[in-house]
Amino acid sequence: MEQLILELKKQIIEVLNLEDVKPEDIDSQAPLFGEGLGLDSIDALELIVLMEKNYGIKLGDPAQGKEIFKSVETMAEYIEANRKK
Amino acid sequence: MTICVTGIGIISSIGVGRQATLDSLLTGRCNIAPIAHFKTIHSDLVSAEVVQSNEQLIELLGGGLKEPLTRTALLGMVALDQAYKEARVEEQRPQRVAFVSGTTVGGMDKSEQFYLDFLNNDSKNQYIASHDCGRCSEMIADYCGHFDIITTISTACSSAANAVIFGANLLKTGRTDMAIVGGSECITKFHLNGFNTLRILDKEPCRPFDASRAGLNLGEGAAYLVLESEASALKRGVEPLCKLSGYANFCDAHHQTASSEDGEGAFLAMSGALQNSGLQPEDIDYINAHGTGTVNNDLSEGIAISRLFSKRGIPPVSSTKSFTGHTTSASGSIEAVISILSIQHGFIPANLRFRNKIEELSFVPSSDIGLKVDVNNVLTNSFGFGGNDTTLIFSKYKKE
Amino acid sequence: MEIKAYSRITADKMVVNGSTVYSSSDGENINLTDLYRHLGIDYPKFFKMDNLCKAGFLGAETIIRDAGMDTVTPKKDCDIVLFNSTSSLDDDIAYNNTIEDDANYFPSPSVFVYTLANIVTGEIAIRNKIMGESSFYVLKEFSSSIIYSVVKETAQETSANAVLCGWADFLNNTPDVLLMLLQRTGDGKIQFTAENINKLYR
Repeated sequence: MEQLILELKKQIIEVLNLEDVKPEDIDSQAPLFGEGLGLDSIDALELIVLMEKNYGIKLGDPAQGKEIFKSVETMAEYIEANRKK
Repeated sequence: MTICVTGIGIISSIGVGRQATLDSLLTGRCNIAPIAHFKTIHSDLVSAEVVQSNEQLIELLGGGLKEPLTRTALLGMVALDQAYKEARVEEQRPQRVAFVSGTTVGGMDKSEQFYLDFLNNDSKNQYIASHDCGRCSEMIADYCGHFDIITTISTACSSAANAVIFGANLLKTGRTDMAIVGGSECITKFHLNGFNTLRILDKEPCRPFDASRAGLNLGEGAAYLVLESEASALKRGVEPLCKLSGYANFCDAHHQTASSEDGEGAFLAMSGALQNSGLQPEDIDYINAHGTGTVNNDLSEGIAISRLFSKRGIPPVSSTKSFTGHTTSASGSIEAVISILSIQHGFIPANLRFRNKIEELSFVPSSDIGLKVDVNNVLTNSFGFGGNDTTLIFSKYKKE
Repeated sequence: MEIKAYSRITADKMVVNGSTVYSSSDGENINLTDLYRHLGIDYPKFFKMDNLCKAGFLGAETIIRDAGMDTVTPKKDCDIVLFNSTSSLDDDIAYNNTIEDDANYFPSPSVFVYTLANIVTGEIAIRNKIMGESSFYVLKEFSSSIIYSVVKETAQETSANAVLCGWADFLNNTPDVLLMLLQRTGDGKIQFTAENINKLYR
């Protein structure tokens, strides 16, 4: 799990172009949206693409993202349980 | 300067021409259905396609047209021809005539079709030159006649509304004597797939201003308005259909694609247009909303409408995208024409498929089909990506 | 109106009000991220922008900050009117790269967002809370007379007190930006005329 979390942080930084953020700056349990990283709705869509591209997970309803993207940890848990690759 | 509308032309999924459009609006007939003409892998989506194929459009135009012909151009020709004839431009030609057309996808439909040919051989290269937005406007203009100024506005879903503003400014600054303004857009893979990646397409027919709304349906079409000063209309002996009494464009300055929570851009555009027209909120008899049917737009726009109008009572509001789908760059002029029809025939176009009120809003849209009321002033909104928010106000014409 | 401040970004340097503030190393094209760092701006959203927005943003940032305008006060009496000739082609190519390969077909929402040229006016507006009229025109080629007349007409109609206007283009790794901040009255040094626009661009 720890490894998946680190891997995810690196991927998030890359796909969301968080140029000045390092993996260790991201608190695994902190909310991804709103405060903190300052992500927005387009970033959420980009995370949906990331899950499909890297882990083979297709999200039918984007509203599901709300629960999944609560934090890097919840995202990692969801990926662990549903990954196809 | 009093700016009058002396001709209109329209084509959309609910009909060709003003009469067919009016009949559909008055009887609640819409044509949001599984995608038919357009080739896409997203066969599970519904859209508001124009019924006619390209071949049928060419037939409508009297045939004998030379390629390249993109669908956006063909739709535009059909609409422009109607407006041109209604305003009797040919018979009573003013000295200078401008054509201002909005489109964002331009000739993308053909580029998608011939892209691999472009790469592999050069035989279809006439469609390279027809790809850009400006070429589309030129093709449309060339079909109808001679224009002294031809220009193209591309601000996504507010393009056609901004074309109206641009045309009005050309008149007010004395750069033209007549401006034919509006927009045209066909469905393309480019924006269908793009909107799909943004997850804002509803698989069901859209439900603007409904609590259960889940996105928009793409539509296609074109509409144009002939604008000229009252003096010019009188001189040419053409009866004005209505006045363009006010307009404004403001920036929401919030997000690239999403609208702000408090609808500030929409609020500024609507108040700016009111100010420009010299009207008060209570003078507005009908609001033709942008109302795309996305969760974000309808809430944000609804909040802006409440902020501006609730003091004196909110007038009937509807989104006619429930009829025509979201015709993107053409929507501003298609909805302007619908607003003009509402003034001329005294009715409120319905907001179809409304069932449940949006909790956060203080009003519900007008869902009665063919509701007859006297309509003097209509406010119509068009908002584009980039926070580009435009409001137009049309008013009944009374001879001074 | 008068040109209160202007910035110019070309393949190899950035010039603000006539003085070079940054140039790239020998023969290299200017790197917009390096320029951003050099200017000491702190706005992480910059990294999410496409190249056209980055170029327009940097051009605007320098002259707006110099003019003492902040990023928080809503500015309803300021318009943004920009022009270019390649629209959003640079980002269109980037978007096409995300959908070109059937085996690796992942259309990117964040790249798609920028396939509209007018998003650059939006980005500048978001950063600076500029809420007046915003428009973007695609011309065949740079034309000081068209820029002059369209901007003049816009300002006349909206009666804005300030207008951020000019040319913002980016293609083939090459920015071509001339942004001007106009005001109604000022020190009268540079009048807003087609001739002066041309001088600043050449």
